[in-house]
Amino acid sequence: MSSRPPDPPLPLESLFDAAPEAWVALHLHSAQAASSDSMNALARLAEIAGDFTSRVSLEPPDAVLLEVRGSFRLFGGAQGLSRQLLERCRAAGYAPHWSLAPTPLAALVLARAGQGIIVLARDRLVGLLAPLPLALLRWPDAELERLDSVGVRTLGVALRLPRAGFVRRFGPKLLLALDQLTGAAPELRRPVACRERFRAQVEPAFELQTVALVLQHLEPLLKDLEHFLRTRQSGVDLLKLRLQHRKHPATRLDLRLATAEAQATHFAELLSLQLSRVALPAPVLRCELRSGVLQTLVVRSESVWRPGEYGGGAGRESPALIERLRARLGSDAMYGLCLVPEHRPERAFGIVELNATPSRRTSQAWCTTRRPLWLLREPEVLVDAPRELQLFEGPERIETGWWDGRDVARDYYVARDHSGAEIWVYRERLPPHTWYLHGVFG
Amino acid sequence: MGQANCDTTAEPSLERLLEHPAIWRGRSVARAATLSTGFTRLDVALPGGGWPAAGLTEILTVRSGLGELRLLVPLLARLGAQPPPRWAVWVCPPFEPYAPALIAAGVPLERQLVVRSAEPTWVIEQSLDSGGAALVLAWLAPGVATSVTVLRRLQLATQRSSTPAFLFRPLTESMRTSPAELRLIFEPQLMGGCVRLLKSRGGERRPLELRWQELNDVAT
Repeated sequence: MSSRPPDPPLPLESLFDAAPEAWVALHLHSAQAASSDSMNALARLAEIAGDFTSRVSLEPPDAVLLEVRGSFRLFGGAQGLSRQLLERCRAAGYAPHWSLAPTPLAALVLARAGQGIIVLARDRLVGLLAPLPLALLRWPDAELERLDSVGVRTLGVALRLPRAGFVRRFGPKLLLALDQLTGAAPELRRPVACRERFRAQVEPAFELQTVALVLQHLEPLLKDLEHFLRTRQSGVDLLKLRLQHRKHPATRLDLRLATAEAQATHFAELLSLQLSRVALPAPVLRCELRSGVLQTLVVRSESVWRPGEYGGGAGRESPALIERLRARLGSDAMYGLCLVPEHRPERAFGIVELNATPSRRTSQAWCTTRRPLWLLREPEVLVDAPRELQLFEGPERIETGWWDGRDVARDYYVARDHSGAEIWVYRERLPPHTWYLHGVFG
Repeated sequence: MGQANCDTTAEPSLERLLEHPAIWRGRSVARAATLSTGFTRLDVALPGGGWPAAGLTEILTVRSGLGELRLLVPLLARLGAQPPPRWAVWVCPPFEPYAPALIAAGVPLERQLVVRSAEPTWVIEQSLDSGGAALVLAWLAPGVATSVTVLRRLQLATQRSSTPAFLFRPLTESMRTSPAELRLIFEPQLMGGCVRLLKSRGGERRPLELRWQELNDVAT
């Protein structure tokens, strides 16, 4: 059983909005609609429509409706908007029939009739609809036949029928449809659900041998991604790239960003840095790009100066540094520091994954005795320690950790070695009482 | 009347012109921007009264961990407290920077960024150019190519970004020339160290002996 995602809720404003609406219907040609991927075509049209308005609705199997009243000013009126919309559709390889009308159903009917017209006034609407055949409403065949048998074949005639008799014979549903056609009753349309992840792939005609070629083929995908993100006013902080080879397992790359970003050039720069570290095991057959979860994009103004110049925009550049370093060196190459409340010296500090910007939080010092600035990763055995070293502080006894099996029992001293450097050494309390170098006061 | 005015203002304006940081006249003290080291006597000895605020400083020691890092702890603490949060980048440190000691010295841990890489010079330049770093500390392993060209590139990056960078290098490098703004040799001593300026634009030539206690005196 396919589980459909729940329908998105109806937009609240449509319930209260009494302002006149202007709907554009894009109706696919029967040839395009009949093809197997008509849903794909509709989704693509809805994508395009999303650039013009946020109120887009699907009318399967072959039409997309969009409410564009609020966008008139931006796109140069009804004329300008429909022209630009159709140009975009044509550029994407579709040539839909279209119409603009004050109600969605009227726009749909006019588009189905193949009339590319713009009607904004409701009182002109009935006159334009009247000569059109009733079949354009796509009512059930049985009802249409009954209407046909009483001589009702056009919309105009149907609209002139007495309402009470119409309800009695054909039911309230059809009357409501007629009312919605003229705008006498409102029609609520479900908005199309936005895709929440970006996913695109490119299959070049030939195998890609070099990283540079891969990047070149990724460029249009990144452009699409930028557009995808811009229409949603979002950014992503994770991109997954999958490069398929003929025989080898696919090469996978995760690009993690410090903050959500939406710029294709920024992605391309970081990807090229990251790809420069990767050795392709074989030529690439297919590239697939997927985004992580979309995040709200906080748009900031760019600094006039170059980063760092005249102290320009320091807060902004910190994430960029982390991203660039991470892209080129990998996440393991860099870390931040934190404090752990723990008596064992080697466990009293932690390594933390880096945030985008240095945080403003401060941690409190809890250890009161002197500690060295440097710690050795592994304590180093000191042979012949008592004779070479000059101990002058200590002992500080640290004996703890018996509960987790990594117990320590040590006496720590501050000492000076032959070159005069201050070092931090300890002596195991258990035989054979080995001496170790653990830190350097630096 | 106008003539006289011209004459009196001519000399001060020439003086002011010559004070420009880009102009350096022989042994006169350069007027470049500096950052206080936290040690009063070291400040006096250094040209301009502190570490160069934009420039490469080389600290040469026989080996790592002799106390040279302690020269910079006051600076790390002070820059860390400054308002726009920026990173203190540690490039390829020889040991692990030990958090409890840093926090005890007042260095904010959240702003420390440790990077280990086989290409330290690239990391240094990126950090400087990003503007996201308050200062850069770097330890260049003997294997890393540090030609004069590389160092000059880094020196230019520090000036472009007005960010200080400190290179810790072995004492053997003192024989070779370097485009760094300031070069000094550090030797450990009892409870302190000895600083000798190898190259500076008009700093103190005599060796300077520092006690770690002095820092506490200044702080209190």
